[in-house]
Amino acid sequence: MDLDYHIRYSATNTYENQAAGALWQFLIIPESNDSQELISDSFTNSLKIKTEKSINGYNFKTYRIRPTESFEAVEFNADFHLIKKAENIFEKVANATGEEYNHLRSIGFRAENDIFLRNTLLTTLPQEVEFKFDESISIFENLQKLNAWIYEEFTFKTDVTDIDTDLNHILEIKQGVCQDFAHLFIAIAKNFGIPSRYVSGYLHQGNGYFGDSQMHAWVECNIPGAGWIGFDPTNNLLAVENHIKVAHGKDYSDCPPLKGVVYSSGKNETEYTVQVLAHQQQQ
Amino acid sequence: MKEHSKPTFESYNRDPKLYDEIFDENDNVRNIYATLFDLYSEHSAKDFARLNDKAKASFFNQGITFQVYGDHEVKEKIFPFDLFPRIIDPQEWQVIENGVLQRSKALNHFLWDVYHEKNIIKEGIVPLELISSSANYLDQMNGFDPPGGIYNHISGTDLIKHSDGQYYVLEDNIRCPSGVSYVICNRTALKRALFGVFNHYKTHTVTNYAENLLEILETVKPKGVDIPNCVVITPGIYNSAYYEHSYLAKAMGVELVEGRDLFVENDFVYMKTITGPEKVDVIYRRIDDQFLDPLEFKPDSALGVPGLMAAYKQGNVCLVNAPGTGVADDKAIYTYMPEIIKYYLDEEPILNNVPTYHCSRPDELKYVLENISELVIKPVDEAGGYGISIGNRLTKEEIEEVKETVKASPRKYIAQPIMSLSVHPTYIEENESFEPRHVDLRTFTLLGDQKEFVLKGGLTRVALRKGNLIVNSSQGGGSKDTWVLKNNQ
Repeated sequence: MDLDYHIRYSATNTYENQAAGALWQFLIIPESNDSQELISDSFTNSLKIKTEKSINGYNFKTYRIRPTESFEAVEFNADFHLIKKAENIFEKVANATGEEYNHLRSIGFRAENDIFLRNTLLTTLPQEVEFKFDESISIFENLQKLNAWIYEEFTFKTDVTDIDTDLNHILEIKQGVCQDFAHLFIAIAKNFGIPSRYVSGYLHQGNGYFGDSQMHAWVECNIPGAGWIGFDPTNNLLAVENHIKVAHGKDYSDCPPLKGVVYSSGKNETEYTVQVLAHQQQQ
Repeated sequence: MKEHSKPTFESYNRDPKLYDEIFDENDNVRNIYATLFDLYSEHSAKDFARLNDKAKASFFNQGITFQVYGDHEVKEKIFPFDLFPRIIDPQEWQVIENGVLQRSKALNHFLWDVYHEKNIIKEGIVPLELISSSANYLDQMNGFDPPGGIYNHISGTDLIKHSDGQYYVLEDNIRCPSGVSYVICNRTALKRALFGVFNHYKTHTVTNYAENLLEILETVKPKGVDIPNCVVITPGIYNSAYYEHSYLAKAMGVELVEGRDLFVENDFVYMKTITGPEKVDVIYRRIDDQFLDPLEFKPDSALGVPGLMAAYKQGNVCLVNAPGTGVADDKAIYTYMPEIIKYYLDEEPILNNVPTYHCSRPDELKYVLENISELVIKPVDEAGGYGISIGNRLTKEEIEEVKETVKASPRKYIAQPIMSLSVHPTYIEENESFEPRHVDLRTFTLLGDQKEFVLKGGLTRVALRKGNLIVNSSQGGGSKDTWVLKNNQ
């Protein structure tokens, strides 16, 4: 059954000293892909500056706002209407062949997926972990086990980590938020040779899932024969009908929801909230 | 010491182990230099001291200076210029020209491949690790088609002549190679100091570089643009090559801008002018990749233009050279150049590569560690002669240190046999005479859409300190005017 989503993203930026100008880029627009279709989007700001649409370095759609007058605070509101199509991941992975481990190690596959096999600052595995891959079961089953392992071993807790927290620290305190768990998942999967990427998006929390009322993060892995499959280690879920994808990258630093250049001195603060409402589409 | 025991050549000691550019193995002046040698021999040491001052003043008055990054301070210097020009005969030049053009084209194919299909890796010719461990591979360029399919519009290829009399390529610089302005200034300075010598040789001009560069820039204009507006972007007056940036902009008749002079709106790039915004179509950028766009790369960079990468990727502006070319001017990639040329062009390499040992390969690392005193150890990702160790110049303790450094991160280092750069008579102020000094040659190659150009000339860099092999200007090198002779002498 398809789901009908209404998503609202609101943010407020405040500046200690008046800013003389800025360029903000928002990476918050849900992408249209095989499993989701963006029906409409709108974006407004309190400075009444016209919105430009652009792309980030990985070709995901962005909004841009470029005020030229000075300001101290600014509010942004985005609304999206989207249809999420029902998808059966198990059908996809049924295509996985027994050759998948050989395929994973072939130079052709590794070259194609090189970007998502490389270590980054945030996704380098600092030490061995207890989780081990078992080649007697499929890659997909292993990744489901990894998903469950992170969910069980680590506790969701806000304010103990931030966007720069490295995996050493996460492994030590065994706590973190969705970004941290996504980075850990990516590091372990890549370490085994499975191309993995960080996904930024929205989570429908109607069922009481973890993810706060913020942007959510999960992982996509490229399984030979099956393609990119989404795993959400924060909730031990496959990313299917509750996950609305915005963008992907190697790690968080490729897809923060807001990037900006602001001509101002002093501190600044950004606060934002996300609301996701869903109802089943009447056919 | 027979033929050439004239006043200013009295203390010229030819080293038989080295290739001397003007004297052959029997101490006779090579044909091509005979006229010049006679002309120069008419002058006394005093004359040269005076001419030397004149040439220096010429540089000083033109404001041609550069900066050296030291450990603690930055120094402004005049680029030392030598009065004795280097002459290259037409046949020899033809080989160089064909060779550097071949390399530039092969590198362009290679860049297209590593940012698209990656066939050369899939076929096992270049190891994946060289790409995946390269800090200069830009993911943002993956799958992107640059205008005209050109990545390295401007290449600077460094060559040397070894003791066997053969040219060898030392490296291909395809990020932001600099030095071409000195080629032109050297010609001007030599003409001012010794105009008469040009009457005796038919030399190719070098002043046509800027017009060719502009034509190349215009070939890669975005779609739908008739007459492209080209600019040169510089990091600013504190950059070591600022003189060159301003020279090239002036010679091409285009604006020289800094990041703050440009802005991006709706994915188009505009220049702020007193008569309002003016659209910019092609940017010859002399800013490194990581500083181009704070939205995409270093977020605190004030040198670039926020939004520039998106404008580029939407096809609304062309960046020259393309971002991400650094992945191919890695010194480890250099060692695969013969294979790269064969793979893409199905040709034999015209110019020699220096044999290279990869410290990333265990057996080669072993050889390097055992023979360090006969090798040059180079970091793969540093430019400008920084971090190079020359084996036979190291003390025992230094050798041990280098070994440890290499062992700690073998992927970062390559080693090559110590090449003996050819020597060229160079006027040494303190001794008021010409003495042999090591030289290399940087050539400049331009690639555009259906257009190519090799500057008939180049920057002959000379190591002014006796016996020194490193010719980079940042390491105390000077330069010489370089003549490529026309066929009909």
